[in-house]
Amino acid sequence: MSTERHATEDLPAYALGALGEAERDIVAAHVDRCAQCTRDLAQFEDALYEAAAIGAVQVEPPRDLRTRIVLRHRGARGREGANWAARIAEVLVRPVPLAVPAVLALLLVVSFAIVGTNRQQIDTYERTLAGVAAGRVVALAPTSPNPDARAAVVIPDQGRPYLVVRLPAPPSGKAWEAWVLQPGPKAIPAGTSTSGDVFVLFLTAQLGAGDGVAITLEPVAGSQQPTTQPILLVDRT
Amino acid sequence: MPDKADDVRLVERIAEGDAEALGELYDRYGRVAFGVLYRMLPGPEAAEEVAQDAFHSVWRQARSYRAERGSVRTWLLAICRNAAIDWRRTRGKRTEREVTIDAAAELLSDARVDERVVSAMRAERVRAVVRELPLEQRQVLALAFWGGYSQSEIAARTNTPLGTVKSRVRLAMNKLRERLEDER
Repeated sequence: MSTERHATEDLPAYALGALGEAERDIVAAHVDRCAQCTRDLAQFEDALYEAAAIGAVQVEPPRDLRTRIVLRHRGARGREGANWAARIAEVLVRPVPLAVPAVLALLLVVSFAIVGTNRQQIDTYERTLAGVAAGRVVALAPTSPNPDARAAVVIPDQGRPYLVVRLPAPPSGKAWEAWVLQPGPKAIPAGTSTSGDVFVLFLTAQLGAGDGVAITLEPVAGSQQPTTQPILLVDRT
Repeated sequence: MPDKADDVRLVERIAEGDAEALGELYDRYGRVAFGVLYRMLPGPEAAEEVAQDAFHSVWRQARSYRAERGSVRTWLLAICRNAAIDWRRTRGKRTEREVTIDAAAELLSDARVDERVVSAMRAERVRAVVRELPLEQRQVLALAFWGGYSQSEIAARTNTPLGTVKSRVRLAMNKLRERLEDER
């Protein structure tokens, strides 16, 4: 039987996170090998954090925070990411010359070096989404190499769905094109824009329950099928 | 009110790489987690940034969660609190690193509680238990919890002997534990 003393005196302060570094390490080491102190610590912390939950400010988080958290991890352990890639690979009916994605990636990386640091654009984008009064907001996930791209599809309770997009202006002769992704799979053209920074793009195609949405870079007149990889994508809305 | 066993199953799903389970955990506790961060950080942008980091930590640490060490709610809120303290130390501007005694004066707030996390009846009971603590005990709890200060720092800031601060922490925490644990 161990003759080591329990951390009774310091355990309350340890649970509160109020010990100095040296004392904290000693208590942590003891708790790791003491079942009784582990139980006591759990009770201290559960009581404290229950009180803290009541002490927290009652404020609504940003509407798309949940979506961003989920999208950041979806496919992160190699499960659903494969589905997305497969779905888009099926949607892409035309072969894309090898050099095109590389050139576009370079253009976009240069553009995002500017966009990524522009806090005003970020604020405008978030304010626009925060202003959605009645409806659902579903974020699209940026695909590498464009981690700073942002877009969310807004599905209002009444009226046509639209995209709020934060992207740089497309290169000359090009446009951002939205797609509705239907089972099949099929990609239905849903509108183009040559705008940059933060802009709104109303979907010209019907968005059915569970359909996906994507944005690609296309010739300025638009395409009937995507000719480049998506810049932003959500596989279900 | 979420069921504790359901919470544990959610964490097990997160550990298996199920991002939708992370979303369900957010549905249960995202609002209160954001509220904790909002109180600890200088503005909504910081709270949003740290919330994303905290849920990423949940994703990475889900495999090491042990139910015998506390509830999922406690585990999640502890991750949020630690992330907020780290943010203040490493990212906050000089003025944002410190929480004034006034700002952290009380452990509780008067705001209506999120009933998805704590029932109204239970919240009233918790408030009553906290209100029964002497003011100086409530203040040391609040400074340590919301301000992230150690007992030594609290002693220096409030010009109180360290032994007195330690005694207040011990008495307050023991009373919280005894009164709230009894009624679970």
